[in-house]
Amino acid sequence: MPMDEIALDHAHAHDHKPGFFTRWFFSTNHKDIGTLYLVFALVAGIVGYSLSGLIRWELAQPGIGPLLWIQTSFFGLEGDAAITSAKHMYNVVISYHGLVMIFFMVMPALIGGFGNWFVPLMIGAPDMAFPRMNNISFWLTVAAFILACISMVVPGGLGGNGFGGGWTLYPPLSSTVGHPGQSMDLLILSLHTAGIASILGAINFIVTILNMRAPGMTMHKMPLFAWSILVTAVLLLLALPVLAGALTMLLTDRNFGSQFFVANGGGDPVMFQHLFWFFGHPEVYIMILPAFGIVSHIVSTFSRKPIFGYLGMAYAMVSIGVIGFVVWAHHMYTVGMNVDLKAYFVAATMVIAVPTGIKIFSWIATMWGGSIDFKVPMLWAIGFIFLFTVGGVTGVVLANAGIDHALHDTYYVVAHFHYVLSLGAVFGLFAGWYYWFEKMFGVKYNSFLGGVHFWLMFIGSNVLFFPQHFLGLQGMPRRYIDYNEGFSTWHYVSSIGYAITLVATLIFFFSIIEAAVRRRKATVDAHGHGNPWGEGATTLEWTLPSPPPFHQYNELPVVTGKGGH
Amino acid sequence: MSGSDVQHDYHLVNPSPWPLIGSMAVLTLAIGAVVYMKGLFGLAEGTWWVMALGFAMVFWVMFGWWAQVVKEGRTGDHTPVVEIGLRYGMILFIASEIMFFVAWFWGFFEFSIFSDARVGNTWDAANPIFQEGLERFKQFPPADVTTFDPFHLPLMNTLVLLLSGTTVTWAHHALQHGDMKSAKLGLFITILLGMLFTALQVLEYSHAGFTFDGTLYGSAFFMATGFHGAHVVIGTIFLIVCLIRMYAGNLTPKKHLGFEFAAWYWHFVDVVWLFLFAFVYVTPYLVFEAGK
Amino acid sequence: MRHLIAALSAILFASPAFAALPEDGAINFQPAATRIAERIHDFHLVLLWVITLITALVTVLLIWVMVRYSRAANKTPRKFSHNTTVEVIWTVVPALILVGIASLSFPNLYYLGVTPNLGQISATSKALLAEGRTAEHLAYTKNYFPDAAEKGFVNIKFQGNQWNWTYTYMDIKDDSDTAVEFVSNGIHTGRPSDKANYEAATGRTDFDSQPTNYAVDYPMVIPAGRYIRYYTAAADVIHSWTVPAFAVKTDAIPGRLNEGWFLVEEPGVYYGQCSELCGINHAFMPIEVRVVPQGQFDRWAALMKAGDFDAAAASVRQIASIASETKLASSN
Ligand code: HEA
Ligand code: HEA
Ligand code: CUA
Ligand SMILES: [Cu+2]
Repeated sequence: MPMDEIALDHAHAHDHKPGFFTRWFFSTNHKDIGTLYLVFALVAGIVGYSLSGLIRWELAQPGIGPLLWIQTSFFGLEGDAAITSAKHMYNVVISYHGLVMIFFMVMPALIGGFGNWFVPLMIGAPDMAFPRMNNISFWLTVAAFILACISMVVPGGLGGNGFGGGWTLYPPLSSTVGHPGQSMDLLILSLHTAGIASILGAINFIVTILNMRAPGMTMHKMPLFAWSILVTAVLLLLALPVLAGALTMLLTDRNFGSQFFVANGGGDPVMFQHLFWFFGHPEVYIMILPAFGIVSHIVSTFSRKPIFGYLGMAYAMVSIGVIGFVVWAHHMYTVGMNVDLKAYFVAATMVIAVPTGIKIFSWIATMWGGSIDFKVPMLWAIGFIFLFTVGGVTGVVLANAGIDHALHDTYYVVAHFHYVLSLGAVFGLFAGWYYWFEKMFGVKYNSFLGGVHFWLMFIGSNVLFFPQHFLGLQGMPRRYIDYNEGFSTWHYVSSIGYAITLVATLIFFFSIIEAAVRRRKATVDAHGHGNPWGEGATTLEWTLPSPPPFHQYNELPVVTGKGGH
Repeated sequence: MSGSDVQHDYHLVNPSPWPLIGSMAVLTLAIGAVVYMKGLFGLAEGTWWVMALGFAMVFWVMFGWWAQVVKEGRTGDHTPVVEIGLRYGMILFIASEIMFFVAWFWGFFEFSIFSDARVGNTWDAANPIFQEGLERFKQFPPADVTTFDPFHLPLMNTLVLLLSGTTVTWAHHALQHGDMKSAKLGLFITILLGMLFTALQVLEYSHAGFTFDGTLYGSAFFMATGFHGAHVVIGTIFLIVCLIRMYAGNLTPKKHLGFEFAAWYWHFVDVVWLFLFAFVYVTPYLVFEAGK
Repeated sequence: MRHLIAALSAILFASPAFAALPEDGAINFQPAATRIAERIHDFHLVLLWVITLITALVTVLLIWVMVRYSRAANKTPRKFSHNTTVEVIWTVVPALILVGIASLSFPNLYYLGVTPNLGQISATSKALLAEGRTAEHLAYTKNYFPDAAEKGFVNIKFQGNQWNWTYTYMDIKDDSDTAVEFVSNGIHTGRPSDKANYEAATGRTDFDSQPTNYAVDYPMVIPAGRYIRYYTAAADVIHSWTVPAFAVKTDAIPGRLNEGWFLVEEPGVYYGQCSELCGINHAFMPIEVRVVPQGQFDRWAALMKAGDFDAAAASVRQIASIASETKLASSN
């Protein structure tokens, strides 16, 4: 008898959950897989966050300090060898910080976690289109993370273990010239694996959304979070294979003597950058669009008002996705591109500010005239709108190739992308976490702790990243373990900001434990629905109990009325 | 909500071990590949068994998983709405495959179209370090590389593949009309043509005047055509599975998604080849080789 | 109110005093030393206003709705969800702003991105003068330098290596027709032994007065007020040649030659750092540019041609002034 049948004779029956191992390891349930993704993202988040701690610790003062101390105290190195190792370690730390945060924290949490949990619930589907494939997407992500972790500790470059060439993996530093060791090969295969996982996930989401909407739920009545995941999934589907191609070329360059990026074979290192950013730029929208979706729901829910300009909101995301494919070389203004080409990329890049502005203003218009309740998710959502705007407008500055010649590869860029990622995507992530926590886990969190978490993060991350604009303008380059005293003050302030986020993050984890221990019962409203947010929460997930039954919508809900959130 | 029986036609799949095993297979394969290429965990470079184990596991999972899918299809889980979903899924998968090939074409185009521009304007020509690269790159394909004459074997291969495209359509129509005999015959011929293509491609490779390593042209050429070849092999296996299932009475005029997907996949492989033929074989030959 | 805005903008947007090094606590660009940098700084200032105002607008709107439409202030929400007029406005206005930004952006981009045609510059300038259009000539010479154009380019190649820079002065050739070429190493590598190494190698005792992570053993030297045309190249991995005060940043990529130009009028010492991750010593391959009057440059070039690199380096340690005194104290 095939193993598939060991678990459940009749999975369709009632709310009958499989046993522990089957449930969590062989899962074909979108909610369980969503939970797995969230737990995974929490673990990866701890790793990525710890790595960022090492960065900020090292950069708190000029000179090579903490990493050197780690080399001498833990690895028994001394003298120049310890310094060389510390320098390499710094590069390794920033590279894996970027990679882990992007591929193993933000993407799994927003797409794998919330996407899995709420796309089917919102569109009135009993599960994802391909529940079993859904699970391999998750486990491949785990496999990819394991590969990345192994790659961190096996021989990498000339200076020690791990790959220290930045998350952008530019050859020749990532070729045998710069990193002859196994580390880079493992990393390539890790990203291949993560890529396959995401492509399969993307197919799953698109099919689910196109094919499994409840009767009456037309595309134009579909909640914006589902729209955001749809656009994200299309971006994943079309962008990741190109990265896979570039990585494959890199792998064969490293191991089988091909010459794609080898200058002396006639190959071109810059071509890797083109291929990478053809993926990389859509990737940044992959990370932000789901957050847009989440914020739309929260803003509408807590203003007790329908979303303003629903269609504009949906098609703004579509156009961000489309334009996102034709702006990639704004990351490459200094590689020696033809000036006319640069001018094109300047124009194309700035165009994205228009649909993004539509989103920002529509959120505000949604709040306008509303009756706003400042519950924890709403705090994060409003924080998101503000911080994302700050990050977005510095993106417009960078889009201007002339200015980018001064700011490229400085901390100004670091500040820009942390405002849109660490203060954008991550704020969206926390907003979703607090919005749906009760729905997913069936218990309430302590909203005081949630509020404290928000305020400390808001203050902390601004203190952390705002001064980095100043550093960048003054010329502080990225990916530097050490710097001139002229940069001390703002680096120091930035590290203090990190300390504040550390307190916030500890409170966050404490609040999870607190909620798990106290087990406060989830709200049941007057209609018997698990809806803690009242009349503003109109999407289908709020008509279900909290947590929802193992299989929801055995009888499909029928959507009538205007919909469109 | 709970308590009511399932009232929809979607397929709620039973828990399955295959995804977990599959991911462990990929993990093994990836580590095995690095062991093979570089040596790792105390295993010497060239150690092949970890990778072989990985491959074996991957094949095991593919077999087990898809056998399960076939079984579910036959026991009625693939309702019309599920079939639509599967169709969408296959189309999207092919779309992602197309983007994968975009990368190879991107490389080939960059090297062929911009070779003059790079050598003329941006090459670090005086630098002794890059003399060799300059020599190799002056011309694309380089002067010492003899490319294939597209109008011999490659043209033949094009015809073979185009023909196989028509035979698979023939088989499809026959299947739809319940003419199982013609369907089998058409499919059989398609498979033969697919194999012929692979054989001719191997023959062609063995006459190549350049190698994968050591020349840019070789890298770009073999990567693009090689990945295409791999897809032909996969497509052929897919078709073989369909033929077996046809003999097993598994595909009916009404229900033959597996066959349909194999046919789509085959057409995709076909179209990619047309692009390869036009841009990797013919154009460089006409544009560059003619001038030699 | 006007004074307040003026004071605020002075704090926010004003440039601090001249320095080619980062200044602790500073919040803006390093002072511009080239016309390119000046134009970029001006443009950035405009943009900074634009983005500050946009962010302020968003902030004010957010605060307004948060106050005016809080649960306490507005019990019953309104239900509207469309307003074509505002939707059109917030699509069109940002688009127009962007068009405005682009119209300022492109001239700068082309200015820095296209190597000037020197022949044309002197011709244009002469024509303007001949026609007596002095005002236009004045405007023209803000961006183009006819005097420098007359003298032609100084061509230099910057090659990035792991982890130092090789400078090749393509026009300065010795008797055997080899161009002057030398390697410029940072004197700081993050090691405690840096000072001892420096003192042993150079016999000098001024290590402590050298700017950390910026000083090099043999600096790059260029004449003031001359058009510099540079080419970047790399030997191993990608590097990026950067001097913030010049607003110049060009990647040095193996196999490629990237081209660019700049012109520095003020003699002085200008520092920069490699700006593309290139391995363990990425933070330790600085760029030191000594801009000296033509006469001093010629002396330096003669010494370099003769192969006396140390004497050449010594000859530019003190920078002669064109009109006023030396700009930087650290150039001892
Ligand atoms: C979530 C991720 C995310 C998002 C959403 C964005 C959004 C944008 N980014 Fe960013 N970016 C990154 C992540 C992201 N970026 C990362 C990770 C890097 C560095 C990668 C690396 O090198 O490691 C990077 C780098 C980067 C660069 C290269 C810098 C360099 O390396 O030199 C550029 C240049 O053009 C750029 C531009 C933009 C622009 C124009 C937007 C726009 O989409 C922003 C649009 C939003 C707004 C403009 C605000 C809201 C709009 C209004 C309120 C309307 C009115 C506004 C105007 C009229 C201006 N980004
Ligand atoms: C999503 C992406 C992301 C996130 C969240 C962060 C978060 C942080 N990053 Fe960044 N960072 C990058 C992406 C990200 N980063 C990238 C791509 C680079 C470039 C790498 C390279 O150069 O190659 C980079 C580089 C980078 C640098 C520059 C290094 C250098 O150039 O030398 C610095 C320096 O301070 C830094 C600091 C930080 C800090 C202090 C945090 C955080 O500590 C801020 C606070 C954030 C949190 C507290 C969130 C914690 C989240 C969780 C714990 C998970 C929660 C999960 C669930 C709810 C499910 N990062
Ligand atoms: Cu050279 Cu960084
Ligand atoms: Cu981008």
